[in-house]
Amino acid sequence: MNKWFKSGKPYIWLTAGAVSVSLIAVLGLLALIAWRGLSFFWPAAIHEVEVQANDGSTRVIIGEVYDREEVPIARLQESGVTLEGFDGEFLERQLFKVGNREFVPLDFMWVMEPQIIRDETPADLAVLERSKDGNFYGYVVDVLENGESVATPENVRDVLFERIERAVDLNEQASDLQQGEIGAINYELNRLRLEARALDLEGKLTEAEKQRLAAEEEALNAQYKELEKELFAYREAASRDSVVMRDMRGMEVTVPMYRVLDATFPNDMGVLSKLGHFFVQIGKFVSEDPREANTEGGVFPAIFGTVFMVLLMSVIVTPFGVIAAVYLHEYAGKNAITRLIRIAVINLAGVPSIVYGVFGLGFFVYMVGGTLDQIFYPEALPSPTFGTPGVMWSAITLAILTLPVVIVSTEEGLSRIPSTLREGSLALGATKAETLWRIILPMASPAIMTGLILAVARAAGEVAPLMLVGVVKSAPMLPVDGNFPYFHLDRKFMHLGFHIYDVGFQSPNVEAARPLVYATSFLLVTVIVGLNLTAIGVRNHLREKYRSLEH
Amino acid sequence: MISVTPNTSNVESLDLANLTPEQTALEIRNLNLHYGDAQALHDISMNIPKNRVTAFIGPSGCGKSTLLRCINRMNDLVEICKVNGEIRLHDKNIYDKNVDVAELRRQVGMVFQRPNPFPKSIYENVVYGMRLQGVNDRRTLDEVVERSLKGAALWDEVKDRLNASAFGLSGGQQQRLVIARAIAIEPEVLLLDEPTSALDPISTLTIEELITELKEQYTVVIVTHNMQQAARVSDQTAFMYMGKLIEYADTNTLFTTPAQKQTEDYITGRYG
Repeated sequence: MNKWFKSGKPYIWLTAGAVSVSLIAVLGLLALIAWRGLSFFWPAAIHEVEVQANDGSTRVIIGEVYDREEVPIARLQESGVTLEGFDGEFLERQLFKVGNREFVPLDFMWVMEPQIIRDETPADLAVLERSKDGNFYGYVVDVLENGESVATPENVRDVLFERIERAVDLNEQASDLQQGEIGAINYELNRLRLEARALDLEGKLTEAEKQRLAAEEEALNAQYKELEKELFAYREAASRDSVVMRDMRGMEVTVPMYRVLDATFPNDMGVLSKLGHFFVQIGKFVSEDPREANTEGGVFPAIFGTVFMVLLMSVIVTPFGVIAAVYLHEYAGKNAITRLIRIAVINLAGVPSIVYGVFGLGFFVYMVGGTLDQIFYPEALPSPTFGTPGVMWSAITLAILTLPVVIVSTEEGLSRIPSTLREGSLALGATKAETLWRIILPMASPAIMTGLILAVARAAGEVAPLMLVGVVKSAPMLPVDGNFPYFHLDRKFMHLGFHIYDVGFQSPNVEAARPLVYATSFLLVTVIVGLNLTAIGVRNHLREKYRSLEH
Repeated sequence: MISVTPNTSNVESLDLANLTPEQTALEIRNLNLHYGDAQALHDISMNIPKNRVTAFIGPSGCGKSTLLRCINRMNDLVEICKVNGEIRLHDKNIYDKNVDVAELRRQVGMVFQRPNPFPKSIYENVVYGMRLQGVNDRRTLDEVVERSLKGAALWDEVKDRLNASAFGLSGGQQQRLVIARAIAIEPEVLLLDEPTSALDPISTLTIEELITELKEQYTVVIVTHNMQQAARVSDQTAFMYMGKLIEYADTNTLFTTPAQKQTEDYITGRYG
């Protein structure tokens, strides 16, 4: 035994064990959230089960099996459920997602396994994805146009798909119109209002100006009327059709077609078509706006907000951090004050992020933003422009949060450059600044990129400070759009990290939101990994380019 | 005992103590140098003649590199370093307050112990000094590259890959590239700080041949710990010991009939 210890093998096992544990932890985490998140998009079978209650009455439930668990019978009895004729300690129960939110009190139902007397998955069962009230489960009975039946039982599916496509197209056109041209007109109208107010404040609102503004407003309003008519026409056309469904109560329900986004018959799908549907659903998730208080639909604004904010932060933190590191390393005297500053910078990295949030809110939002508003946007007051949380303040706050990381790794990179290169440049008649610019900084660029990678990894995952300085549950507009000046840094934005918190803890429908929490987490990790891989690629390229001599 | 064969080049010997202004490249007058409290150079005075190779020899730590680095004020980079005395170039003290150090270093080039090419292409390495002076005309630069690389006996080896990274060259080639880089800006004096100590014997030989050619156009000052090298390439040699200049004479004289006992002990290998 003693010999074994002396051979050093236990330490090899110890260190290898530590590596394995870290590796398993990371992979396990990724696998769990990937599995939980991605399985949500796989079309689940729809069950039609008959349940017999204790008194002998039966009812039919149609829905997806969402979860199953073993519960101790004792606990069920304590909570007042009377169970007769069941032995054993545990009982299996299943959670059904039954949808049809407007017709049932709860769209999730627990069913005791022994009470199920019939369980089938008929091929005709359909699930309608709707823009309101969630999924609808049931049998397709008929398709109506202006209240008249247009389908026979044989071709009802084809007609349904065709009509859904038409309605979806019309809805899309309507929303494009609303967000595009009508949005632009609203933006212009608001701008005119602010212009009038600004002129008024300066005392330059003459009659001529008033007339010009009124004329412009008139023109815009006329345009708006036209577009509104067009919009109503689309909506009118979209509401022409409807679909008649038979739900689990056996009642026929008419669902307006403009609410239907998609219809699937998962029990009638092969593996390939399920796979196709899976990818289509993932595509929708990353490209669409959220619906129903974020519990349904996609997360595109959150992805966009996260990436945009992180890029903005990188643009701010990199020059700032590099310049600070250059001064500390190249110009500052090597004395106690410099060491003190360096220690302070390193300690900044240890300050809890929420503290930065409070600082950002107090200093940037209220002080700097409030002052900016008074100087540059007095016409909009009392409603604030920059004096309110927004994407710019978020980016700046996170830039300060990640500044130490960039400074430390840049300094590290500067100190690794062989002094012979500096001397070589100086000996050719270069000044210190020229040497820095032409030799030192290019050679330190891989280290700068390393700092940026760490900064991005930290910033993309921060949520706490953002809640104070700019993130919201639902932002009506992206920070980038087609209206001049295109980048609206004063706007609030959505963020994947906050979205997870919001969907997981603030949602009115916890069960429905749970898979979205996993899916969004997985997406957040994917986005961060994507950003990091890009930065690592750039760094490796630079490293190859500025590979210093191996002495 | 090391046998040293002095070079047989028939340069006429000069009266080093009384050079005419035309013959003089540098005059060092009463130079003292302190690192903090420690004195590294003691009252050095010597004349370095034009278009000749002057070698500084001596045991490690004798101050020969320090003296060399005084000539283009590389010691300015060391914060605790203090210099007293004069070094006169064109009859002007380079330690005067109004001297532009960058300008001085353009006149006094330097090549270091280890090859230190920049992480750029061969071409960009050579034109680095020119670009610093704001010369960006492609034709001028092309001419400079060809002239400098030919001057450093490297042209034939690299003319087909001027845009390749300088790191792809061998150690000896890199050192010649560094010499090319130094002579591209046409300095008057070229300081070589043990230029072959990191190189193999064949590269060393090439560089030594190059040094002999370089003195046609430049005044060369070389520091070496290799006595044979000093004997082979230099026209006059200074022997330094413990920060003092012990003996400074024609290379032939110094190696065959040293005036000082310390010099004789050193060149015969009794210490050092």
